[in-house]
Amino acid sequence: MRWLLLSLALQNLGRRKARSFLLIAAVALGSGVVFTGAVLMQSIDRSMAVGFTRLGADMMVVPEGALTNITASLLVVEPTELVLDADALAKARITSLGRIAAQKVVRVEHSGIGSHHESADLIGFEPAQDFTVQPWLSEKLNRPMQQGDVILGAVRDGVLGSQLLIFGKPHVVYGRLGRTGVGTHERGVFMSFATLDALGEAIGGHGTKPAVLAPGKVTGFLAELAPGATPLQARFAILSNVKGVKVVAGDTTLSGIRQGLAALLDGIVALMVLMFASTALMVSVLFSAIVTERRAELGLLKAIGARRGQVLGVMVTEAILATGIGGILGVVLGVLVMRLFERSLVYYLENVGVPFLWVDLPRTIAFAVGAIVLAAAIGVVGVLYPAWRASRRDAYDLVRGGT
Amino acid sequence: MLSCRALRKSYVAERGEVLAVDGIDLDVEAGRYAAIIGRSGSGKSSLMAMVGGLSRPSDGSVTIDGTDIWGLSDDKLAAFRNRRIGFVFQFASLLPTLRLVDNVALPAMLGKRGDGDTYGKAAMLLGRMGLGDHLDAYPSECSAGEQRRAAIARALINDPVLLLADEPTSDLDEQTEIEIMDELLAVNRELGTTLVLVTHNLALAEQAEQIVHIAGGTIAS
Repeated sequence: MRWLLLSLALQNLGRRKARSFLLIAAVALGSGVVFTGAVLMQSIDRSMAVGFTRLGADMMVVPEGALTNITASLLVVEPTELVLDADALAKARITSLGRIAAQKVVRVEHSGIGSHHESADLIGFEPAQDFTVQPWLSEKLNRPMQQGDVILGAVRDGVLGSQLLIFGKPHVVYGRLGRTGVGTHERGVFMSFATLDALGEAIGGHGTKPAVLAPGKVTGFLAELAPGATPLQARFAILSNVKGVKVVAGDTTLSGIRQGLAALLDGIVALMVLMFASTALMVSVLFSAIVTERRAELGLLKAIGARRGQVLGVMVTEAILATGIGGILGVVLGVLVMRLFERSLVYYLENVGVPFLWVDLPRTIAFAVGAIVLAAAIGVVGVLYPAWRASRRDAYDLVRGGT
Repeated sequence: MLSCRALRKSYVAERGEVLAVDGIDLDVEAGRYAAIIGRSGSGKSSLMAMVGGLSRPSDGSVTIDGTDIWGLSDDKLAAFRNRRIGFVFQFASLLPTLRLVDNVALPAMLGKRGDGDTYGKAAMLLGRMGLGDHLDAYPSECSAGEQRRAAIARALINDPVLLLADEPTSDLDEQTEIEIMDELLAVNRELGTTLVLVTHNLALAEQAEQIVHIAGGTIAS
């Protein structure tokens, strides 16, 4: 019986080929937009999370007397003898700031890194809070970073996993950073606070330990603006609440772009929802007309003994078939569009060093299945009311084609 | 076998309520051939629709084989129609997207009585109607007469006790009309199926064992 109803639904679709084609095409476009949009938005979101972090912090907070160089990207605080309390910004509870990452920077010589007299910046950071160092990892060991691990700046030599002696103490090269163009970042040797603190005695040698290696002290902070906050608001709040600091703002254009793009993505989501809703309405209107056209056949089905559920089933099956096929075609269309996108824009972005991270395969498949199910659901919703109304009417009225 | 009491049907039209059937009492004994005749708009088709469980009466009752059909739930009434009543309508009432054999088998399958033999029986009935070589044909590939004979075959697939035919030959030529009537009468005589024919053609009604003349929604004679 099910096969006969399925066959009936399929044959009905074939009766009005042009209309069925247009219906399937409209649903394919709608579900294609949803599928492609969802995958691209997630990919853009992931890429933005990495890409924008790679642009660095929005501002740097350092001791008031520290000398600073202006760079386009704030990735590392400037090395200085002056220090700040590690909880200085946290205690101030500045709402115009988002993520905050503290860093300790110690410039050392005779450390065993590079040539004998070469100075090197040992940069300590907290891996869990960091958002300016790790996004630049071009390669790393396949495990979480742990004490004793170091990350080398782009111009430092060292094989991944090899041993690096710093002041005679063995460390493991955990990762290497990509080229950033920021000198301190390029030449730095990065490690966790714990690893840097463990080097304290060796760095101090016979003299005193650098002040920044004292517990609860940091060289400075890298901070991100909270959504909607302006650099001026944050600067004012920091200077008002934290004494003895200097605020160095990064490129304000970048924070503007970050915030603007986030708003744009929200707008695209809203447009996608609107487009899908309009497709749903169109499908609903179309199925209403189809049910009206089929009144006599539905009446005949009722007359020969079809139950109300069976009458509904015939129409719902037809709708699911049409919109489900549309959904599948939409996903295929979406895959083709994304292949095109990958070969053009993504290729270009990667060539200019902007990473584009696609959503992983399981999630892509989940989006595809979701788009198909959503398309089929639109068919069900579209046909359900007119078919339900028809199924409630007297068979004789339907057979005679009465309104 | 068939008993109608105080059957009444009114419609709400733009000009107000229209009374199509006004308090009809009717009895047809099992195995008989009854003809309901009357002019267009007399209410005979409305009467047949209520008798067949296709249109709910405004008032009154219809009892078939002891079952008050309008006292049944929607699904039970559908099942009753499926098992006990066969219909032949005044138009080509086959589903155009199904083959003749599928159309004939459909009521058995809707009633979940479809088994391995359903298609065999459908083929046998089509053969009986002279359509043995048209099993796989689609309705659009058949003449009006062939379609009407296929509709009779479909009406018989579940061995109904009552066969209702509403102007089954109204759009057919004279020769085909005779052939279709011969088929219906053969069903009535050979299978013992009660036949109720609605027609405005007095010549067709002449062979009936019971003639009911409807005028203005009531029985005139």
